[in-house]
Amino acid sequence: MTTDSPGLPAQDDPVGAVLLVDDDPDMLKLMSAWLRGAGFSIQTAGSGSDALSKIAISRPDIVVTDLFMEGMDGMALLKEIHAGNPLLPVIMLSGQAQIPDAVQATHLGTSAFLTKPIAKERLIAEVSAQVSAVLDRKRRHGTFGAGIVFRSGIMQELLEQAEMVAQSDITVFISGETGTGKEVLARAIHDASPRAAHAFIGVNCGAIPEQLLESELFGHEKGAFTGANNRHEGLFMAANDGTMFLDEIGDMPLGLQVKMLRVLQDLQVRPVGATRSVAVNTRIISATHNKLEELVRDGEFREDLYYRLNVVPLHMPGLAERREDIPLLLEYFLGLHATRHNARRKRFDAEALEYLIAAGWPGNVRQLANTVELCATLTKGGVIAVAMAQRALREKPGRIQPLKDARDAFERRYLISVMRVANGNVATAARIAGRNRTEFYKLLGIHGIEVASFRSDATPDEPE
Amino acid sequence: MSDKIRVSIDPDLEDLIPGFLNNRRQDVVQIRALLQAGDYAKIRLLGHSMKGAGGGYGFDPITDYGDEIEEAALKQDAATIEAFVSRLEDYLARVEPVFV
Repeated sequence: MTTDSPGLPAQDDPVGAVLLVDDDPDMLKLMSAWLRGAGFSIQTAGSGSDALSKIAISRPDIVVTDLFMEGMDGMALLKEIHAGNPLLPVIMLSGQAQIPDAVQATHLGTSAFLTKPIAKERLIAEVSAQVSAVLDRKRRHGTFGAGIVFRSGIMQELLEQAEMVAQSDITVFISGETGTGKEVLARAIHDASPRAAHAFIGVNCGAIPEQLLESELFGHEKGAFTGANNRHEGLFMAANDGTMFLDEIGDMPLGLQVKMLRVLQDLQVRPVGATRSVAVNTRIISATHNKLEELVRDGEFREDLYYRLNVVPLHMPGLAERREDIPLLLEYFLGLHATRHNARRKRFDAEALEYLIAAGWPGNVRQLANTVELCATLTKGGVIAVAMAQRALREKPGRIQPLKDARDAFERRYLISVMRVANGNVATAARIAGRNRTEFYKLLGIHGIEVASFRSDATPDEPE
Repeated sequence: MSDKIRVSIDPDLEDLIPGFLNNRRQDVVQIRALLQAGDYAKIRLLGHSMKGAGGGYGFDPITDYGDEIEEAALKQDAATIEAFVSRLEDYLARVEPVFV
């Protein structure tokens, strides 16, 4: 591993941050000298695994990697990189100049394929072109989702993907737990799309009874049903030329799913009681906190509709997956509270901050917003103490366990599972676990697991 | 054959050149040791690295010799490897970088 520069996070570095990956130190030095001379910020990695660690920490704008490396080769690295961030450009270098490599690399999404020995001008030109595109996107990104507060890599990647899909009419499906801000993301996509001047209409499919939902979405003719005294246009028509956000789509009744399919397939809606369909031009963004695949498997959601909706899946991470954003979000909501109530801006003390960063947040950003509101309202002075934060969260928060506790809990659960599979036979269990019998007995002893309890129907208690 | 071989090198690389050439001299020693041990896989890797880096630093013959050594290692052709290692050794003894 070689580190030639601190490798600032990409968003702080307008010249572009390049990660060079090669197991030949002389190649790393050569490319570093060239690219640093051209004004880029350089980080280097001597192996694929080293590169993955660096990418996770410093988020370069581009990766230049050798194909032929010991251990993880360039192609495997490319797959790993794009599994985490499909937008990160990767330039592949090969000393072998084999056409199949180039073809495969292209299929896997390399931005360029250069053959060694590489020419200085060619490398600089390729890196400059790719970095320039990335920086352009980041500059534009300054306006995309301006109201979304984050600094985590996971959110940055999500917003970059969302911004890219915003420009097209492609159908987007947003998954994520309740309270993560799926509608905020949907609105950001709409605002950055060519439809921004038209309506954005959000509907919670789980909150409206089936009969009403049908008429709300598709409209109805006068007299279509009892109480339909007037013709109703329906939300799809109201969102014509704009965007329709269907939240909790997993709760949509099966009967309506057929009608939804028609909207997506034929771009037509038929109001309740109407004999003819009407053309609509509405972009659909749907979302759910449910696992839609499971609903499909259970026959509660149409598979054909699932595939129609899930063209571009975006996942809104839970707050626990983006804890580095919590201090920023707390600041944001404290500022909002102060503005809304025309009051002095309050702050959390260090202990409260630490407590809130480590809290479980099952209700995600929505819960955090409510917590801040409550704390700020009930605190008389300017500083919010940990006791208030604890009181505001009310339910016992799921704290992050220390590593040792988490590891111990996992080990105990694992041992119990293996013993169950082995029907209490320690020799078999030890073999499954890849340990010798003595070691395995020792582990059982450490966790106080009684072998005898697996030899009858009795089983030990599950760990907390 | 003791004439110097003058090679024009990018001045930006001046600090790196002594280390690079020294590493290649070590490659000569290492490849001969690997030949004795019959470790052609490792020889191939060294040839591959030479091929990739030589021309970039401005020493095209190092790329050419690296290519030959890599190919010969694939065929486990000891005689060819030794022949090109000798040529590399001779080149390294005579090469004189000029930074312009």
